[in-house]
Amino acid sequence: MDKLMNKRPVLWLLGIGTPALLLAAWWLASAGSTDTFFPPLADIVDRFRALWLFDHFGSDVLVSLRNLVLGYAIAALAAVAVGFVTALAAPVRWAVDPLIHFLRGIPPVALVPIFISLMGFGPEMRVASIALAAFFPTFIATVDGLRAVDRGLLDVAQVYRLSRRDRVVAVLLPAASPQIFSGLQVSLQTAFVVMIASEMLGPSRGIGAMTLLAQQSFMISDMWSGILLLGVIGFAANFLFDLVRRKVLAWYIGSRRLARAS
Amino acid sequence: MRTSFKPLAAGVGGVAAALLLWQAASGARAAGGSLPSVGSVATDLGALAGSPDFWSALAQTVGIALLGLAASGLGGIVVGILVGSFEPVRYATRAALEFLKPIPPIVILPLVVLILGPTGQMSWFLVFLGCLLPIVMQTVDGVHSTDPVARDTARSYGMKPVEILVRIVLPSAMPYIGTAMRVSAPAALIITVVAGLLGGGPGLGQSLYLAQAGGDYPTLYALVIVLGILGLLFQLGTRVAERRLLHWHESYREVAH
Repeated sequence: MDKLMNKRPVLWLLGIGTPALLLAAWWLASAGSTDTFFPPLADIVDRFRALWLFDHFGSDVLVSLRNLVLGYAIAALAAVAVGFVTALAAPVRWAVDPLIHFLRGIPPVALVPIFISLMGFGPEMRVASIALAAFFPTFIATVDGLRAVDRGLLDVAQVYRLSRRDRVVAVLLPAASPQIFSGLQVSLQTAFVVMIASEMLGPSRGIGAMTLLAQQSFMISDMWSGILLLGVIGFAANFLFDLVRRKVLAWYIGSRRLARAS
Repeated sequence: MRTSFKPLAAGVGGVAAALLLWQAASGARAAGGSLPSVGSVATDLGALAGSPDFWSALAQTVGIALLGLAASGLGGIVVGILVGSFEPVRYATRAALEFLKPIPPIVILPLVVLILGPTGQMSWFLVFLGCLLPIVMQTVDGVHSTDPVARDTARSYGMKPVEILVRIVLPSAMPYIGTAMRVSAPAALIITVVAGLLGGGPGLGQSLYLAQAGGDYPTLYALVIVLGILGLLFQLGTRVAERRLLHWHESYREVAH
């Protein structure tokens, strides 16, 4: 035990130190690099500052993020609402089950060309693609989560003569929320991928479009800075989601920990 | 009999209603007449089935996805075992892996296309990269969660480290790896399509791009339907494979009540 206690700080130091070392190594190894594909990290950071923090912040970064947030919000609300209706009304579930199974097999990005053919290259097309692609993971998780709710819990709700509204808000929603949240997390990833894909097709604005354009016009540092920005956004979105999840599901995470400890 | 008939009838009804709605929307020339009719898409599906180009594109897509998945499975398990077996390495890589995990492979698509060009190799490499990280991380978790008592028992029986790895650690990490592979298989298909659609790699993604760019909307819809079926088959196939390969593990055995 004592030995383990002494090792802990060293291990944590390793955890924090290694990425920093890797970044430093990238910086040093690429300094003065003349390789076309791998420009110096200093150049990339320079271009990053110039492009994303000033020139294109309003015209591209905000546009991309707005599409992402809007599409994701529509998908999340619709998926949970439709999921509830589907799970609670058996005839509806029977009717949409085959359709849903087919639709979720479609790679989400393959929906983008269809929306382009229907709506053109405007921002509506992007939001619609993101919303539809992000709909399915949450929808399926909601239906599964509701169907797995403990029968006993429902019986108790019945005995207490809870109204339909109370049953949904106070019993079903909390009971299914762990599953709903894992669906929401997959939806967020899907939304992010489709956001980029919808920008990489056709003449358009946004971070994905800028990054691909930089690649095609051989502005390699610009392309790298776009990749860096997309990477940071992908990480940050997931990180924020996790914060919210931990807050909302604190009761569940705590009970799981207790169950494991006992 | 009655209970199983009702869902079936409702399911057929749901599909029929969706098709009717689609037909009505295309008949009303919604979205400027760019929505093809059900009939024209069905005809195009038939035409695709008779076209050797389509079958070779399909074969390329499936081949690239499976090859990339196999490579990332092999590489991911090896790297995962190495990382998971040494505590300092696990700590050193954790932050980097956690940072990279939520970043989808489409982000580095421009770089990979730049270096490898719009080739099958590029698609394959993107699939490999995209599936590698989840498999590595799951393998690390699996290796780490090996029952210490089983490990100590093996050691006190005088097993060599390699023997412990093969007979104790790997079997107990198998369900984690199985889950990672099951999640990665549909992802491999999706990445192959993305690489074709956006990076110009061969296969159905490229067909999709050509149909969209050429304004051949019936073919576009027919291809998306094919991709939907293919996606379902991938999900189904990996679930069956996982059950078959891991039937011996306690978490897959049928529980007798």
